[in-house]
Amino acid sequence: MELEFTVNGREYVQDVPPDTRLIDFLREDLNLTSVKEGCGVGECGSCTVLVDGKSILSCLTYMPEIDGKEVLTLEGITDGDELHPLQQAFIDTGGVQCGFCTPGFIMVALELLNENPDPTRDEIRKWIEGNICRCTGYRKIVDAIELAARWMREGQEAVEA
Amino acid sequence: MLKNVTEYHIPGSLDEALSLQDRESRSYFIAGGTGLALSNSNRPVELIDLGKLHLDELHLEDESGKLEIGATTKIQQLVELDELQDFAGGYLANNLEKVGSYPIRNAGTLGGSIVRPFPWSDVVPILLSLGAKIRYFDGTHGVRDLNNLYSDDFRETLRNSIVTGIEVDLPEVGETRGRFYKFSRSEFDIASLNLGCTLTALNGKITRARMAVGARPSFARRLTEVEDFLQGQSLENDLAEEATEMAADTAGVTGDRKMSKDYRLAQVRKMTEEALTGVIGDFLEQ
Repeated sequence: MELEFTVNGREYVQDVPPDTRLIDFLREDLNLTSVKEGCGVGECGSCTVLVDGKSILSCLTYMPEIDGKEVLTLEGITDGDELHPLQQAFIDTGGVQCGFCTPGFIMVALELLNENPDPTRDEIRKWIEGNICRCTGYRKIVDAIELAARWMREGQEAVEA
Repeated sequence: MLKNVTEYHIPGSLDEALSLQDRESRSYFIAGGTGLALSNSNRPVELIDLGKLHLDELHLEDESGKLEIGATTKIQQLVELDELQDFAGGYLANNLEKVGSYPIRNAGTLGGSIVRPFPWSDVVPILLSLGAKIRYFDGTHGVRDLNNLYSDDFRETLRNSIVTGIEVDLPEVGETRGRFYKFSRSEFDIASLNLGCTLTALNGKITRARMAVGARPSFARRLTEVEDFLQGQSLENDLAEEATEMAADTAGVTGDRKMSKDYRLAQVRKMTEEALTGVIGDFLEQ
């Protein structure tokens, strides 16, 4: 069926079989391989992307459900060669080990920081509860999101000044 | 996920959606998709997307306490809606936040939680403990008590109808407060047991009680014997002791690989006691 949607700012009009999952389209048709398939049943959060600004699990989403909507993946949050503050913060705090879960964490954290620029550590923990990391033990991931939140606030203040 | 979707329909009306449903059960309604995602079938099916039917409206009458919510409303919308923050003392909004994770709540819908009621669902006991009714369309519009729906063969009952929303009628006088408890390995994990209770009180007496237990491990049910016992009683903490034993006797829990029957019964007692002392305490502090 013919669908119209936007991925990372680019518009698509695409004929897609109705049982295509969003994760498969993003990875196999658009080569957006930051979107990872972990469990495939909505339990690990590795395939998280934003649709109209809200985090959803692309492994549980059929393509027709995104008709007319905007999809954002990790590839869409960088500004040219410059990493997004969340990406840089994950590197600086050691929030990345094997890296498989990291795109999902960053996308769900991006939704959090868009809605709440100054979250507490408890609010961060609550927000990322649907994402699983088998390497880091979460503390450095929370550190990373907290650091990125500070950078983004400071950047916003600098822009406003 | 269903792997052989031959047609994906996007109807523009309830009549059209109903007409697309075939009698051999090869078609499924889809709204958020989180429930269907757990279906793992290769047989050819058709999906009927209810997302364009505008079934996501909310109507709250402040005077009467009557709440109507459309079936395709996302769970996270209900957590965030300003109108619901004070409804039943925040019972609905605060406790729906315990359902799944943000991405799951951003996709999952109220109606989907009703028509595909997983035994461990948190949404169903929360709605049952508010005494919710469902609104449905089977060619004409109707209303049905949610608890009665699950008492019957709900899959057969819903086979030729579309759930369009829920209704909650709180008593027009008195205040309603509640508590909901979920026992699980983590907040995000599915419940091994959950229990919700709301009490409406006026002048120190309980005028309405609703209590439901889920993940028994079978489907959630209301504990009507406990409700009948509580209604008409004065708000006193010693009510909890008698109600606790009654809840354990009537919850119908069994054991499974997650929890033995004895442990589940102990949890029913603990949740019932904490729910009742908590809600009664809220009223007595006022």
